[in-house]
Amino acid sequence: MPEHDTADPALREQLVDTICDLLPLVLKREVTGATADTTLMEALGMSSTTGLELVLELEERLAVEISVEDLGRDDFGTVGSLADYVAGNLLPEA
Amino acid sequence: MTALLAVADYLPPGRVPIEELAGDFGLTPMQVKVFRRYHRLGSVRRDPHGSLLDLLRGAVAGLDALPGREHRVRYVLHARTFPTVVPYPHNPVRELCRELGLDRATVFAVGHHACASGLLAIDVAGRLLAADADPGGLALVLAGEKAFTPEAGMVPGTSFFGEGASACLVAPAGDRDRVLSYAADLRGEFDTDAPEQALEFQRIYADALAAAVLAAVERAGLTVDAIGVILPHNVNSVAWHQVCRTLGYPRERVVLDNVATAGHVFCADNLVNYRTARQRGLLRPGEPYVMAAAGAGRGATFSAMVLQH
Repeated sequence: MPEHDTADPALREQLVDTICDLLPLVLKREVTGATADTTLMEALGMSSTTGLELVLELEERLAVEISVEDLGRDDFGTVGSLADYVAGNLLPEA
Repeated sequence: MTALLAVADYLPPGRVPIEELAGDFGLTPMQVKVFRRYHRLGSVRRDPHGSLLDLLRGAVAGLDALPGREHRVRYVLHARTFPTVVPYPHNPVRELCRELGLDRATVFAVGHHACASGLLAIDVAGRLLAADADPGGLALVLAGEKAFTPEAGMVPGTSFFGEGASACLVAPAGDRDRVLSYAADLRGEFDTDAPEQALEFQRIYADALAAAVLAAVERAGLTVDAIGVILPHNVNSVAWHQVCRTLGYPRERVVLDNVATAGHVFCADNLVNYRTARQRGLLRPGEPYVMAAAGAGRGATFSAMVLQH
């Protein structure tokens, strides 16, 4: 399991919750029981495009800006790995 | 050893921002935002009143090495992303050959590698010329298409096609841009509409393209460190960033300049980017470089070619 020492646990939890909350919106269907360990592609059948929409929806929902520069395939592994990426790539407010 | 005697391209001046295309393709504002923010696509070239012949003619007009050598052109190849590029019975490539006086040439299209067919066409041209064993023989390799159907307008979730064309004069030998190697990985398992295979294609895309680059580089007896620059296909920037991560290759040395301003110019991308690389002074004499592309249509192809400037 990857270490998440650098991410603020409260922030990560908030991100996980918000991602789970946004899943039905971006997948356009009901999604129940998603957790940090839910795999986005395997379990939810999310495409990379839908994953990106999720990141941008997250920006709007939380009124933050996320750097997508280094966003890679591995970051879309699970809800938790995506939350880790976002937590580590929030851009300071302009 | 096959060599490129001359390379030219043509991009029509008309630019359409991708936001203006959203309605045509039924895209939500969020989907367009993903294209702009993440894929780094911005606008595409369009020539609404022009034909495919106009695009090809524009590219060939830049081939300074062609006038006076028309009688030496044995083959004219049109590299195509799509099997059908004009409505029947139009044949703009033959029409262009008539205009140019290329009456001795065998004229045909090269496809089935989708957007990687441009590299295939250069390879085929080189093989045909080598088999002829005529040191004076030449082949004209054309690429470029009209975005004239919805399918030829965008690659869902991946890219928008831009109109434009390239032309290159291939010789059986020469010292200008010599072809050191070519590798194409054909993946027939993706000849399906099954959604799980579409996801699998996305999953393997960057690794398979990186593997094609490595295969071509190894076939040329080189290592990736020796490659001065990569001339990519313009599918989008992020796919190439992923390829760079896999290869351990600096993304600054992949010529992605035209992604945001021209779009994915079908099979012409590599040569459009060749012009940009020359303008930026990125092609240095004696230094090897790579042209690479991935094509998806009926099946998938990942291709790369190593050349020496």
